[in-house]
Amino acid sequence: MNGAALDRVFRTASGRIIAALATRFRDLTLAEDAFSESCLRAVRTWPERGVPANPPAWLYRASERVAIDMLRRRRVREQYVPTDVAVELSAEDAMMDDACVIPDERLRLIFICCHPAVAPDARAALTLRLVCGLTITEIARAFLVQEATLAQRLVRAKHKIAEAGVPFELPSRESWPERMEAVLSTLEIAYAKAHEDASGVSSHAGFAVEMLHLSKLLTELVPQAGEAFALAALIRYAEARRPARVDGAGVMVPLAEQDPELWRRDLITEAEALLIDATRLAPSASRTLQAQLQRIWCMRRSLNEPAPWPRILALYDRLLELRDDPIVRLNRAVAVAEVEDAATALCEVEALASQSLENFLPYHAVRADLFARTGRVDAAQVAYRKALALNPSVAEARWLERKMTAL
Amino acid sequence: MKYALLIYEDESLYGPDKTGPKIQEIVGKHMAFTQQLGAKRIGGSGLKGTATATTVRTTGNKKTVHDGPFAEAREQLGGFYLIEAEDLNEAIEIAKKVPVLQDGAIEIRPLLGA
Repeated sequence: MNGAALDRVFRTASGRIIAALATRFRDLTLAEDAFSESCLRAVRTWPERGVPANPPAWLYRASERVAIDMLRRRRVREQYVPTDVAVELSAEDAMMDDACVIPDERLRLIFICCHPAVAPDARAALTLRLVCGLTITEIARAFLVQEATLAQRLVRAKHKIAEAGVPFELPSRESWPERMEAVLSTLEIAYAKAHEDASGVSSHAGFAVEMLHLSKLLTELVPQAGEAFALAALIRYAEARRPARVDGAGVMVPLAEQDPELWRRDLITEAEALLIDATRLAPSASRTLQAQLQRIWCMRRSLNEPAPWPRILALYDRLLELRDDPIVRLNRAVAVAEVEDAATALCEVEALASQSLENFLPYHAVRADLFARTGRVDAAQVAYRKALALNPSVAEARWLERKMTAL
Repeated sequence: MKYALLIYEDESLYGPDKTGPKIQEIVGKHMAFTQQLGAKRIGGSGLKGTATATTVRTTGNKKTVHDGPFAEAREQLGGFYLIEAEDLNEAIEIAKKVPVLQDGAIEIRPLLGA
């Protein structure tokens, strides 16, 4: 197993293991530290002794022992010196699916991370770090903040949870709706991160599957929360398009150029059912409108049908009334360029406050395209370079490079 | 009469978790003061830092939960005593003896209906 493969195993297992440990030991920091330590041990011992039959189960058992060890040492007030523990999985553990060995406490962990007593700007970051195993660098980029700022925010949030006695229990049923909004925005941001990677080869795409699962789970746990259904639908519509998002040469394919025949009808069917509930429960919520936007695209059956830009633009106009922010305006401008013309769209994009969008890759990609379409080749080139400097996924980088070469 | 003595100090003096050497120093002083108060002390405690505070706010009929103390200030509520005193004068005399590390303020509030 090479380094990248190990990272993938660690990342995939991290949320579930940290959630199980945190719930058991009622200590987020201990859970996180114990998991990191067990990953280090895996890096040391797996190459020598071979990769265990069930790596997540091994990591969980190792983390458990490390955590117990850490607690013991903490109690006797000794300085913690890691000692090597050989983890022998029982025959039963190794045979079983790791889902049976490691209790699934991720939803509980999400509710802890999204507790109203935690600062709003820290909730999503904390959930992404602990439940989805994203790195601080990745989260900082998703949130458009400095890494140091984000790291500090996380430390403060964990400290608050520990010191103020935030319970490690699921919220009582009556307080679920109230605590839902923070949870939903967290999942939204997490999925956006997973969706960003068009080809699905990097570790982000790995948790797109988890997002499908978690978003569905929320609708089952809180069946009165319309926006949870909207989000679950939205994630499915978006994820349905994954097979068409990259062409044979590994280049990203923009939505309007994707072959609808490659889209996953099974996910679209699931999304349709969820959107019906969302529309019934929360007809005018912004998330319901966003899911409807996704639906308009997914109803396209082939590339021979015209792209549904006029309907998209009309929905963005409605969305803008509910949620007027630079990202909605940027997306609306893309539709304006198709329905009206590129010059009008460019005017609207240039009127946005560029500061908050400076680290937002689509902002530069949209500007570059609009500059190119209005004959401003030099400006387009500068904008494409800015987009490429923001670490796009491989497929997106290829697409941006191709567009830049075609100028 | 019963009074609350609310202790306001700059909590940053005591380090991030109120675990530094300064906290040992002030705790020692409070223990001595508590001894001195004897039966006049009904209750009280030190408080963890405002980083651990959660505020429930009621606006109209709506209760909302927020991270943080109810108001950000230069000095923060760091602890309190509940005392039994003859009158405000005695309470003031007691308040003057409440240990503070450097600058600070002790707010004296009679308990309602006591």
